[in-house]
Amino acid sequence: MIIGNFRIELEPRLSSPKWLYLAVPAGSLVFAFIVGGIFLALTGHSPIGTYGSLISHGYTSSKGITNTLGLATPLICTGLAAAFAFRMNLFNIGEEGQMYLGMIGSAWAGIALAGHLPHVLAVPTVLIIGAATGAFWVLLPAILRAKLGTSEIVSTLLLNYVALNLVNYFIYGSRGFFRDPTTSFPQGRGVEETARFHSFGTSNTYPTVIIAVLLAVALYWFMKRSNFGYETSVFADSPNTARYAGMNATKLTLSVLLFSGALAGLAGAMYVVGPAGKVDPGLLQIGLGYAGIVVAALARYNFVAVVLTAILFAGLRVGGASLQISSNPVPIAIAVVLQGSVLLFALGGEIFRRNRLRIRRVQQVSVAS
Amino acid sequence: MKMKHLKGIALAAAAVVGLAACGGSSSSTDTTAAAGGDYSNLKVAVVYIGVPGDAGYTYQHDQGIAELEAELGITVTRLENIPEGAESAATFDQLASEGYNLIFGTSFGYMDPMIETAAKYPNVCFEHATGYKTAPNMGTYFGAAEEARYLSGIAAGAASKSGKLGYVAAFPIPEVVRGLNAFTLGARSVNPKATVQVAWTSTWFDPAKEKEAAQSLLQAGADVLGMHQDSTATGEAAMEAGAKWVGYNSDTKAGDFPDTWLTAPIWDWGPYYIKAAKSFATGTCLAGDSGQYYGNMADGTVKLGTFGSSVTAETQALIAEKTAAIIDGSFAPFTGPIKDNTGKEVIAAGVVAPLGDLLGMQYLVEGVIGEIPKS
Repeated sequence: MIIGNFRIELEPRLSSPKWLYLAVPAGSLVFAFIVGGIFLALTGHSPIGTYGSLISHGYTSSKGITNTLGLATPLICTGLAAAFAFRMNLFNIGEEGQMYLGMIGSAWAGIALAGHLPHVLAVPTVLIIGAATGAFWVLLPAILRAKLGTSEIVSTLLLNYVALNLVNYFIYGSRGFFRDPTTSFPQGRGVEETARFHSFGTSNTYPTVIIAVLLAVALYWFMKRSNFGYETSVFADSPNTARYAGMNATKLTLSVLLFSGALAGLAGAMYVVGPAGKVDPGLLQIGLGYAGIVVAALARYNFVAVVLTAILFAGLRVGGASLQISSNPVPIAIAVVLQGSVLLFALGGEIFRRNRLRIRRVQQVSVAS
Repeated sequence: MKMKHLKGIALAAAAVVGLAACGGSSSSTDTTAAAGGDYSNLKVAVVYIGVPGDAGYTYQHDQGIAELEAELGITVTRLENIPEGAESAATFDQLASEGYNLIFGTSFGYMDPMIETAAKYPNVCFEHATGYKTAPNMGTYFGAAEEARYLSGIAAGAASKSGKLGYVAAFPIPEVVRGLNAFTLGARSVNPKATVQVAWTSTWFDPAKEKEAAQSLLQAGADVLGMHQDSTATGEAAMEAGAKWVGYNSDTKAGDFPDTWLTAPIWDWGPYYIKAAKSFATGTCLAGDSGQYYGNMADGTVKLGTFGSSVTAETQALIAEKTAAIIDGSFAPFTGPIKDNTGKEVIAAGVVAPLGDLLGMQYLVEGVIGEIPKS
């Protein structure tokens, strides 16, 4: 691109210096807030006041941060699920549906099994069964991918719609096991009390947030240290090298996709163990599975960074909705534009990490007449 | 219902210009000084599942909130597009913690989050539309839309030449089933051989899906459509096919359908919002009876909308007569004998179904072509 006397070019970097990994996301955020600020000012809202309110409602007030952590808890799991698969170039887009299945499976366990178990066993059982049903939902796409090379992008995505209709069927379309038998209103049947965590104090944060964070750290460590982690990273870089080195591609593909599905299922299970306590069609409206993909991309598929980006994302959601609580309310549409610009710039900023910006003066060639 | 948020984020940058146009809707009212009465202790908020721009369910609630603001001279904080499920607990919690003391929630899925938040804030009054759980500081409000549904069914039955009617419906739950049945009873009261084919969409607000469902009913031979959805997509499909239709929630869009609009059961929430707020201002939460308010045509919560040009004077006169009978209590739509669509008698001759039975309705009346899940 040439502007005036300057030529502006992007040059690929051979290696990115460490500081850029922090500077680029931080710079992107600042830039997003500037653009959003211009937009706010044009629509008659004080940018400083709005951002102050967003930050306080989403992150810094005690109510704000606990609400954000509550929403971030399942989001960390779906983010980990996406990051885990994407790292091996397996594009599991089905976290949304796998999360619904996790909700269904864990609700089944919470109703059918938890009554026979003490609290210390009931909650882990419910979480594990939720994870297992999430993994089950990716089994078919995983086999198709591993054995036949069928695109997992399409198959996992389509199964989201099947899962969505399954939840709708259980709650609205039938009067079976998952429907509350005590009312004709469409409500899920509550799980046993032993299968649920209490929130911290009167907040909306549940102990599951600790499990989610520990899981992220454990995954980070495991994928760095274990043989399995090494094999997946070799496979991601070059499948042929991996095969040549005698690694079993089918096994790796299957295990990565199934574990990704289990993590997404765990998100649904945490929703049941925590705030919902039943199969709740409200989960269908929040889109935490799809958001997990965004969160993972923002974190550049780093498991520990997923925790941070999930909290960033959840805070934008919680704080954005709260901007309507004001004498000069910021409409939800503008809040969504703000969220969108943050995510867009954060992802777009990647280009400056991968490339170097060069501005050169162009010599004007003057032709003597 | 919607995966709206993520889509919204992806489209956000592109949509900047478009959104600016509809963004102003919630900030149209400026703070006004209290006019008459002292309502300075009131801090009122309302939480919507959608946006008032839906020209349907949320629009009518927003009209009611505007009536409340005008009557009491207060400003109500409106929260739009708040998804159901556990995430909404954060919203209600935030409102209560910021000093809002009268909080309305207008969607069924807010019920459990509201109940939980109500337990944390015993001095805050919660009012939930369309649910059934109550607490000392949480009431419910809804109303007998079936009365106006029945009347709109008369208009639909009279307008149908083929006797085949269609009905685009959200979910097979008692509220929707009740309306469908009342519509069918009304249609068959003037057109005894009429049938109503139902298409379930499994969504409250998805115009594309609703339109498809409406088109499938029209292709199956329906010449008049009814619907239980938040959008007017059914009407668009009907207009394109030259068929008549009955709306729901609101008649604000009636003018967009000049020849095909018949009428619509509509809500007027204003009187209840005013009653609830005035009651709470004097210290009493729960304006309704035992915390459960069920409005009707007699108290004006439920109305029949304007008639389209194709409703004949004769039909209008008949509907006016039935309206008067419903309002003075001499007629109720669900009066036996009524059979379900398998031929079984569900309401005996001369019996008026009690409200409790209506609220849990789990059968389709004779004339409805369709099924609902059985327990």
